[in-house]
Amino acid sequence: MLNVTGELSGDSWGIFTFLCAALCNLPALPALNCSEELGAGQSIQQTYDLTRYLEHQLRTLAGTYLNYLGPPFNEPDFNPPRLARAERVPSATVDLDLWRGLTDNARLAANYRAYSRLLCYLRVLDGQVGTAELRHRLAHFCASLQGLVLSIGGVMSSLGYPLPAGPAGPPAPPGAHAAPNDFLKKMDDFWLLKELQTWLWRSAKDFNRLKKKVPPAVVTLRLEARGF
Amino acid sequence: MSPVDLHPKDSHPQYERVGADVTMKCGSMDWDAAVTWTVNGTDIDESHLNGSYLILKNVNLSQSGQYSCYEGSSWHLKYQTYLRVGTPPKEPVLMCRSNNYPKGFYCSWHLPTPTYIPNTFNISVIHGTKDMVCEKDAMPKNRCHIRYLQLFSTVKYKVTLTVTNALGKNFTTLTFDEFAIVKPDPPESVVAKPVPNNPRRLEVSWQNPSSWPDPESFPLKFFLRYRPLILDTWQHVELSDGTSHTITDAYAGKEYIIQVAAKDNDIGTWSDWSVAVHATPWTEEPKHLTTEAQITETTSASTSSFMAPPTTKICDKGAVVGSGAVAVCWTAGLVMAAYSVLFI
Repeated sequence: MLNVTGELSGDSWGIFTFLCAALCNLPALPALNCSEELGAGQSIQQTYDLTRYLEHQLRTLAGTYLNYLGPPFNEPDFNPPRLARAERVPSATVDLDLWRGLTDNARLAANYRAYSRLLCYLRVLDGQVGTAELRHRLAHFCASLQGLVLSIGGVMSSLGYPLPAGPAGPPAPPGAHAAPNDFLKKMDDFWLLKELQTWLWRSAKDFNRLKKKVPPAVVTLRLEARGF
Repeated sequence: MSPVDLHPKDSHPQYERVGADVTMKCGSMDWDAAVTWTVNGTDIDESHLNGSYLILKNVNLSQSGQYSCYEGSSWHLKYQTYLRVGTPPKEPVLMCRSNNYPKGFYCSWHLPTPTYIPNTFNISVIHGTKDMVCEKDAMPKNRCHIRYLQLFSTVKYKVTLTVTNALGKNFTTLTFDEFAIVKPDPPESVVAKPVPNNPRRLEVSWQNPSSWPDPESFPLKFFLRYRPLILDTWQHVELSDGTSHTITDAYAGKEYIIQVAAKDNDIGTWSDWSVAVHATPWTEEPKHLTTEAQITETTSASTSSFMAPPTTKICDKGAVVGSGAVAVCWTAGLVMAAYSVLFI
């Protein structure tokens, strides 16, 4: 496991948390001009690289977090049944033929929606966690995950796809879906981390497919057609 | 009363454990009846009898066979059984692997020690709350495969293998994630060739394993290892795409052994190493061939270079294979030694 090398000071923490909260509440992210200049091919590669980096980061984070939760959550063969409440977390699981047949737009949108929601859940976690080391790791991970969401958004914009709308209606009050007891709360956390990990594995495959189907040359033509 | 009620051939064998004591009764004959027992047609000595009962103490495997009991005078067959000595099964060894991701996975199993009697294997696969059917393969036996219905599942698969025979049963369980068991087959058709006019290069190419169904969406990355036969340490190259590579730091004139392994780009583990291929880099045609009559065999670029560095031997026993080239090498070595002495 990686060692924590230094912590953020109190002031920068405050600013950081504010930024995280502010970004989480935006209904839609603005289209980024910089990614259009890069070309979607390169952006897809960068997004792919980001998923790999995040997957690596998550391994360390999950190890630390599950140890914090304690047994049985940190046991390697812990295999609980999926409770109904866990269905709120977006699942990467998909029928094989359906996954193959996804359009580029649908593929990107699924990733965008999933990570946006996972990010929000993670931020809730961040606010509740006990140790400073965990808060530091979670904050770092949230920042990287935010980067991934932005990156996916950038790819979608450069390909001319509309960004998926944010969650309908006002955000639920903090206590709305709270677990009734401590054990179930830990189960929620366990499944969140599991789905996050699975999504990162899936995204690597999603972006592999996109890489093959969207070479950089295509995007240049598209930009010309739009009169840039 | 009909003399024989039993069928002469008993279709159900009698199974007994190694080391057990076995008592066989001669059908419905009284204890004090005069009988003769045979095993596989050979008479059994009376010392093994207790009245008309046959006593076998601490049976071993060699005592398996057809036991028959005949009435003393009439030689009517009164009882027959086929005895099979064996052991109850030990815990079986189970392995599951996905070499054809994302199509599915297969499980294969075996017993660590033989039981010497017939065994039945039963395999069950549970995915969350769902029971899945693992279809048995015709060949090889002791193998079954499953098709994935869903991809990117967070729920683990639980595979239980139960082995049963007449003397007992045993079982083992494996629990794993979809991603954890991904391990491709080794790359196929590995070919290594020298590069003309390049004494330090070798061109290696290979193909994706044919069992990997979709290298487009699930690309493989590769690991190449190579070493000259005379050294023990390998050199390694990891390649994230492409199915060929040029080695540029080969020692001139040395025969190399080369292997390739494959792995899904993102998940699972490395395959086993491919079949090894041998190749020697291109060498110039040797110029000092004339003096010794034996050095006429220059079959291909694979013969040793005569410009070998002084610290290494020209030929090693293992380096050149077949066709009398070994004799050529040793003679060449002697000639070189002779020449170098002359020119010092």
